[in-house]
Amino acid sequence: MRKLSLYPFVWRIPLMVWQGLFFVGPLLLMVAMSFWLVQNYRMQPDFNFTNWERMLTRGYFWDAYWVTLWRASLTAVLASLIAFPASYGLAFHLSATARRWAIFCLIVPFFTSYLVRIYAWQVLLAESGPLNALFGNAGFGPFTMLNSGFGALVGYLTLVLPLVVILQTFSLSSIDRNLIEAAWNLGASPRETLLRVIVPAAKVGLIIGAVFAFILSFGDFVAPFYLGGSKPPTLSILIIDTTKSGQQWPRAAVVAIMMIVTLFVVAFAAVGAAYRKRK
Amino acid sequence: MTDPLVRFHNVSKSYGTYEAVKGLNLEIARGEFVAIMGPSGCGKTTTLRMLAGLETPSGGDIRIDGKVMNDVPAHERDTPLVWQSLALFPFLNVRENVEFGMKMRGIAAAERKERALLWLDRLGLKGFEDRRIDQLSGGQRQRVALARSLVTEPEMLLLDEPLSALDPHLVIRMQGVLTRLQKELGITFVYVTHSQSEAFSMADRVVIMGHGEIEQIGAPQDIFRAPRTRFVAEFVGRNNILPGDKPGQELVVAADRMVVSENRPEGNAIKVEFLSEEFAGTSIIFYFEGEGGEELKAQVSEETLARLAPEPGQTFWLSWSPDSVHVMEPV
Repeated sequence: MRKLSLYPFVWRIPLMVWQGLFFVGPLLLMVAMSFWLVQNYRMQPDFNFTNWERMLTRGYFWDAYWVTLWRASLTAVLASLIAFPASYGLAFHLSATARRWAIFCLIVPFFTSYLVRIYAWQVLLAESGPLNALFGNAGFGPFTMLNSGFGALVGYLTLVLPLVVILQTFSLSSIDRNLIEAAWNLGASPRETLLRVIVPAAKVGLIIGAVFAFILSFGDFVAPFYLGGSKPPTLSILIIDTTKSGQQWPRAAVVAIMMIVTLFVVAFAAVGAAYRKRK
Repeated sequence: MTDPLVRFHNVSKSYGTYEAVKGLNLEIARGEFVAIMGPSGCGKTTTLRMLAGLETPSGGDIRIDGKVMNDVPAHERDTPLVWQSLALFPFLNVRENVEFGMKMRGIAAAERKERALLWLDRLGLKGFEDRRIDQLSGGQRQRVALARSLVTEPEMLLLDEPLSALDPHLVIRMQGVLTRLQKELGITFVYVTHSQSEAFSMADRVVIMGHGEIEQIGAPQDIFRAPRTRFVAEFVGRNNILPGDKPGQELVVAADRMVVSENRPEGNAIKVEFLSEEFAGTSIIFYFEGEGGEELKAQVSEETLARLAPEPGQTFWLSWSPDSVHVMEPV
């Protein structure tokens, strides 16, 4: 057996303690809590499947589940599609210096709080806001953009787009240029080169970008609450509602566990697909 | 003589103020094996890339089969290139790599597969068709790259330092594979390299480039025995540059034509000081310093080495017969 060396072990301790205290511990507590019961607004430790049965047999849970899954998937797809032309331009049509500046500019949005940026959208998207005024001048609208699925989507994209562009740009700019020229040299038109060489060569980065978009928007509470109007509720809103109504922490735990399981399945499947080696 | 397959007419290429290729004129015949050789930065790769359509000439024109190709995009040409890095697609297996060019030309799947397998077999890769690229050795990858370029049966194959990443023993084997293929297929090979041994052992004609211009075009022997300029003589190496009788005139005598003796012989001779020796396989090169500080070389046999047993600093005489002298163009 390999002797456990003390030195590297010591350096691992802080991370292990942190993860144990603030991730594994709470996670286990949450799983346990999902079997507890609430009586007179107080939680009683128990081993009871009532909460699970209660949540998973209710239509409103599954409505929220499918809405959340659909929105997160749509965000992942839209963010990837919207980001790709920008990333492509950054990766292939800019000098290395210009690309560094562009990456810097993409990091700037993270300087301001996400919540602040969402408030800005509330103003912009409002019924009597500047965007509708603009549409009005052109003879359209007004459109209801706030408190709708569209509003929530704008919020999700605000959250994920800069990150997706950065991830895609890194993976596109690391493609060996010789591969692209080899494709042309073998008779591939620019369009065929894009589909048959550039996208497959950048596959890992493109999938990781989409996965991040999915994970961030799947769990996001701000966009559906402040821009989506909470109707229909997403799983994150359902958790808030459940804890507020009658201190139902155990039922909220059921929702949270369902979310975590979904994210694990999606993330593992996507990373598996990204790194899958052909036989 | 029939029309050449390729004709460069006054071709130049500049990047900003830097001129990579200046007024290049070159004709390449059908079925010819041409090597373009020169030190790095001499414009040889740029010339090859212009032929493949990966660079657009800044001036002049390039004709293939009599047709001006300047504005024909790379993917509409039939000029497959073998890259130094090979540029095999890592996300495709061996057979899919070989089929790529045919797929782009719209050849049906069944025929693609048949032709790909045929070429893999021909290059000794039978049974490797379903392998991933990262499961192959360097030599095998090299042959996949060749199969990928040749499977579409082009009239001309371009090669950009294709052997420089291989082990020395593999280089010799691949040189054999390449010359055999070129003879069998009867197609034109344009081979860019900085390696003299590769160029001289394979090519029918060697083009020596320096500073964006052609310094000399000729058969390997001609370039070796009769370098046109000092640049060529120095690049080719293994020869001695001596001052001529007239001002500015320079002579060249190949190292293997120099005779080393301890006492002053009859005829042309210069006094030199021994510096060092170098074993190059079966032959030995003696390095000397002339009285003016110039470096001189002589290729000698093992017997000569044993007989003379030179010590550094020892004085010798180098002599040559008048018929081994080549007079170079004045600078």
